Amino acid sequence: MSGQRKCPDCGSSEIVEDAHYAQNQLVCADCGFILTEGLLTTTFQDEEHLQEVTYSRSTGQNEQLSRCKLRGIKRVQDLCKVLYLPAVFEDTALSYFQRAIEHPSFHLVSLEKKEILVGCCVFVTCRQHNWPLTMGTICSLLYADKELFASVYLCVLKELELDVPALSLTDLVKTHLNSFKLFQSSASVPAKFAEDKEKMVARTIQIVELASETWLVTGRHPIPIVTAAAYLAWQSLQPVGRLTCTFARFCKMAGTDLPPPAHLRLKELNDILLRMASQLAWLRVLNVDKKTVVKHIGDLLQHRHFLLRSSFSSGDTEDQSATAVGDGSVSSPQAAGCSAQAEGCHPGGKQKCSSVRRPLLPPCLINPRKRLRTAALSPSDQAITGDEAISDSEIEQYLRSQEEMQEFSKAQAWH
Amino acid sequence: MDADSDVALDILITNVVCVFRTRCHLNLRKIALEGANVIYKRDVGKVLMKLRKPRITATIWSSGKVICTGATSEEEAKFGARRLARTLQKLGFQVIFTDFKVVNVLAVCNMPFEIRLPEFTKNNRPHASYEPELHPAVCYRIKPLRATLQIFSTGSITVTGPNVKAVASAVEQIYPFVFESRKEIL
Repeated sequence: MSGQRKCPDCGSSEIVEDAHYAQNQLVCADCGFILTEGLLTTTFQDEEHLQEVTYSRSTGQNEQLSRCKLRGIKRVQDLCKVLYLPAVFEDTALSYFQRAIEHPSFHLVSLEKKEILVGCCVFVTCRQHNWPLTMGTICSLLYADKELFASVYLCVLKELELDVPALSLTDLVKTHLNSFKLFQSSASVPAKFAEDKEKMVARTIQIVELASETWLVTGRHPIPIVTAAAYLAWQSLQPVGRLTCTFARFCKMAGTDLPPPAHLRLKELNDILLRMASQLAWLRVLNVDKKTVVKHIGDLLQHRHFLLRSSFSSGDTEDQSATAVGDGSVSSPQAAGCSAQAEGCHPGGKQKCSSVRRPLLPPCLINPRKRLRTAALSPSDQAITGDEAISDSEIEQYLRSQEEMQEFSKAQAWH
Repeated sequence: MDADSDVALDILITNVVCVFRTRCHLNLRKIALEGANVIYKRDVGKVLMKLRKPRITATIWSSGKVICTGATSEEEAKFGARRLARTLQKLGFQVIFTDFKVVNVLAVCNMPFEIRLPEFTKNNRPHASYEPELHPAVCYRIKPLRATLQIFSTGSITVTGPNVKAVASAVEQIYPFVFESRKEIL
């Protein structure tokens, strides 16, 4: 190519190809005349094939932002990658982080808090897109203190004025069970313990819905309830081999940890199921107790609406609901069962009814803890205006006498 | 049960916090030496003094600022604060009782029904915040009254506000919202 051309200026045939600041040029070696230049700009079609560098990866961003912001941005991106979040989440989380870090209450805080701020931004983004992520997960990923996370999170919500929807339990169940290693047999999971994922998820969701209808979910941590429900679902799907497996062993096999409140939740769930079982005619003859109720969870869940209504009273109208329930029964065994119960109720009087049915209340009201409440103000106290005269004798009780003062200074001298 | 029917709700005031100034410098060591029922916290620079008759705990700083907590009504708070100022006067300081102000009132109220918290939060979105992983109650803020209510699923409500009137109006305001999210018979 260079051999064929001639410099228009001096006529020499020595043309070299040179790159002047990365711009390709054909230059005459003798006089320096530029024959042709490469393109400085690229067209749209060219750029499609270019490996373009995003601003966040180029060094342009490094110069404009401070080190702490850069570090925070990188941490947000890393956290989103670890959690396999979609790209939209990353952008939202980054925008929240950049807004928050400008705020005076987050700009001059300890590094620990800035780290937690990163976690909070990602957590808020996930909650707003209804992605089920718990605070426990974020705290364990960041090795953060839970109380500190809680305070930073509430601060972020207040300062950025964000609205966060509630955590959806159904999605949480699906995500949490995804991490269980029970769905295929392996070295640690014998064949009879492996379970089909769809069935287990469906049954766990049903048990969690039952728990939320009976006041076991309101105000409590969601994960222990999900773990307890998963255990019951797993046991009930094949009770034969699995009844002997303890809760702790189940969690170890599944590869999750057992949160301490889960035992209490399991106990409460069993209590509810037992009460429901006492309403099913064919179960009453079997003498179900808390160990064997698991076998019948399938039946109980199928008729749970009816059973809940019949086993828990509203408080006032016990007899009326018993007869109403007798009229509106679903199928023949149940009709026989509950008309028998209604008949058994009436001759037995209200006492028998109330022993069978219990009001549907949160557990803390069923077993109330003794509380020290100060008594209401007595009438003489209520007449205080605040401006009464103060007698000297009343004040004397708060002052030390001379002897007491000497004793005290002597005692202090020993320090 | 109609929300408009007159239901007498018992609001029990559990704590009233007030402040006042003595307009003179206070020698904390002298108070710790000559006063009975005092605890001297040297590291933070304050003295805790407890009164018996109105059950009140006062935090006294050397600048002359005093914070009183533990009273069960605004009048009782003033009653105790004046007694405290008189005690300091008897200890020999030139105390003038000024700038008395009730800063915070904490009250508890019990609703006769249980409340479904997730439903309540959904209906009262910007003001209510419910995080079951953090706290079992819904935190509801009423900005114009500067009051915060903590609503539990058992129907118990804890209210904090700047004075007793604000607390009472906060309970009045929250009642219809809480009533519509009450637990219904299954």
